[in-house]
Amino acid sequence: MTGLPRRSLILGLSALPFAGVSRAAEGAILLRDLYNKDLSFSALAEANKGQRITVDGFMAPPLRADSNFFVLTRRPMATCPFCSSAADWPTDIVAIYTKRLVKVIAFNIPIAVTGLLELGTYKDPEFGFVSRVRLADASYERK
Amino acid sequence: MTFRIITATLVGTFLATSALAEVAVSQKDSKWYTDAQARIDELAAVTNNTNRAKNVILFVADGNGIGSNYATRLWVGQKKGGLGDDHVLPQEAFPNLALVKTYTTNGQTPDSSPTASAMNTGVKSRNGTVNLDDAGDYEDCNAAAKAGLTTFSEIVTDMGKSVGIVTTARLTHATPAAVYAKSAHRDWEDDTKLPEKCAQKDIAAQMVDAVNAGTLDFIMGGGRQHFLPNGITDDEGGEGRRMDDRNLVEEIKSKGWQYVWNDETAKAADLTKPVLGIFEASHMKYEADRTGEPSLAEMTEMAIKNLSANDKGYYLEVEAGRVDHANHDGNMHRTVTDGEAFAAAIEKAASMVDLNETLIIVTADHSHAINFNGYCGRGTPITGLCYEVDDHGIEHTGKPSVALDGKPYTVAGYLNGAGSILHQEEGANDWTGSRPDLTQEQATDPDYLQQALLPMTSETHSGEDVAVFSTGPWAHLFRGVIEQNVIFHVMLHAVTAE
Ligand SMILES: [Zn+2]
Repeated sequence: MTGLPRRSLILGLSALPFAGVSRAAEGAILLRDLYNKDLSFSALAEANKGQRITVDGFMAPPLRADSNFFVLTRRPMATCPFCSSAADWPTDIVAIYTKRLVKVIAFNIPIAVTGLLELGTYKDPEFGFVSRVRLADASYERK
Repeated sequence: MTFRIITATLVGTFLATSALAEVAVSQKDSKWYTDAQARIDELAAVTNNTNRAKNVILFVADGNGIGSNYATRLWVGQKKGGLGDDHVLPQEAFPNLALVKTYTTNGQTPDSSPTASAMNTGVKSRNGTVNLDDAGDYEDCNAAAKAGLTTFSEIVTDMGKSVGIVTTARLTHATPAAVYAKSAHRDWEDDTKLPEKCAQKDIAAQMVDAVNAGTLDFIMGGGRQHFLPNGITDDEGGEGRRMDDRNLVEEIKSKGWQYVWNDETAKAADLTKPVLGIFEASHMKYEADRTGEPSLAEMTEMAIKNLSANDKGYYLEVEAGRVDHANHDGNMHRTVTDGEAFAAAIEKAASMVDLNETLIIVTADHSHAINFNGYCGRGTPITGLCYEVDDHGIEHTGKPSVALDGKPYTVAGYLNGAGSILHQEEGANDWTGSRPDLTQEQATDPDYLQQALLPMTSETHSGEDVAVFSTGPWAHLFRGVIEQNVIFHVMLHAVTAE
């Protein structure tokens, strides 16, 4: 039942973006609240740029074992053999660069990730993965 | 024997009906009664349209089984402020209906390629194949040459008609591909997965051949990555995947086609000329997330405007490709919002065409492992928690129904998929779990996955029947329970009727 108070907080944040800046650190942010519908960065994202924030989402199955990288998705990323190839990532994702080697959590278990919010297009030299939103120096836990 | 019993029953009913005139029916002023009487008058007035069909529009919502259609009906009805169940989707107002058996030659549960083939060629075939007879094997590069089937678009092109495809999936995906391609594997969308020296071309390359052959005249959907060479970036920053250095968009443009890639360029297109619209690198967006792209209804409208210029008529296949994907995701919200967009496209088409000469068919290629719990009172949000029936009123009580575990549950659920309540804990062999507690706010959240049983990376199709709704010339041939490939034969009969 934790979802209700948390989301009320977020609704409050989008209504009052400036009041939200200082409070964002207290509660987790939903991944989707970092983006506007047209996929531009939300006011909430801009306001928290460079800050340590906590974002709720799901860990997509990591691209490689023993790395410090995974993709946080807004909903569990169902991998349908008929629908998508691995290259077809949703557009509204957050790239996570972790402090420690990634310990895999199943793709459909809600997690909360805390890290330094980075905005702007970046291509990972190792994975070739292009991201627009990242959490760096991140840690995460099951919700 | 059976026949005799039926006859006897009919006679009995007849006698009862004549006798009825003598009895004062106490409920005759009930709105239920008068509405139903009006409906009987409407149905009795329906006459068979035996004109030759100049145009055929085949609407396919991928994965939109009877359950998903039901959910969309309630969603749209509730969005309009009603209780939902009494809402009538545009396809549900059509006078003719059949149930469709969707199994394939090797699948009790089908995928979208043999089902689209059945509708476009008139025969059933193997899972994973596009427009091939079973004489050609799955994944066999020679199969398309050996066992490729004649498509409805080839037949009607020969009659002088135009052909169009509109889809929210990739244009190379199974359902649209069956309009113009023959492939031993549905995944051979570009040349990256095609075996080396394969005798058949990849699906995107076959689209260029269809354009050159004049069997395709209007194209809108997603999937740019399959048309662009690797190293080329599209207008939205997506990368091409082709390894053969061909730029199929440029090749089609060089044939005098216009190319559009977002809502604005689509709006500016000259609809008197052929249009190639590709709006995403992969599938187009879910309706709930749509931005910068035309809606399915807008694409359908542009297609009909374009194709109607041919006085010999047209065949248009319109696919709502992502009802299927939302079900695979286990996310009811996007299932019904894409279902709603599908309904809007049907309504738009029906308002634009003359039903004396245009056969409209609305169906799904297959169903899904979605199902519905009870007992929910009327007005229960279809994507949300089941509320108890008010024994003395009409609308639900506002109190969530609970299962034996004391927890509320949603109206809809999935038999399998990402929403599974079972998880494998670290070091454990068994998958275990219990149902999370849930508020109505969480359950109706657009990103919520309805609870599922079997843990799977993606929810599955199911083999249960789908519906076909139809209106226009020869639509009355849709009745009873039919094989899916019969749909092609109704279309063929309609366009060739004397
Ligand atoms: Zn599917």
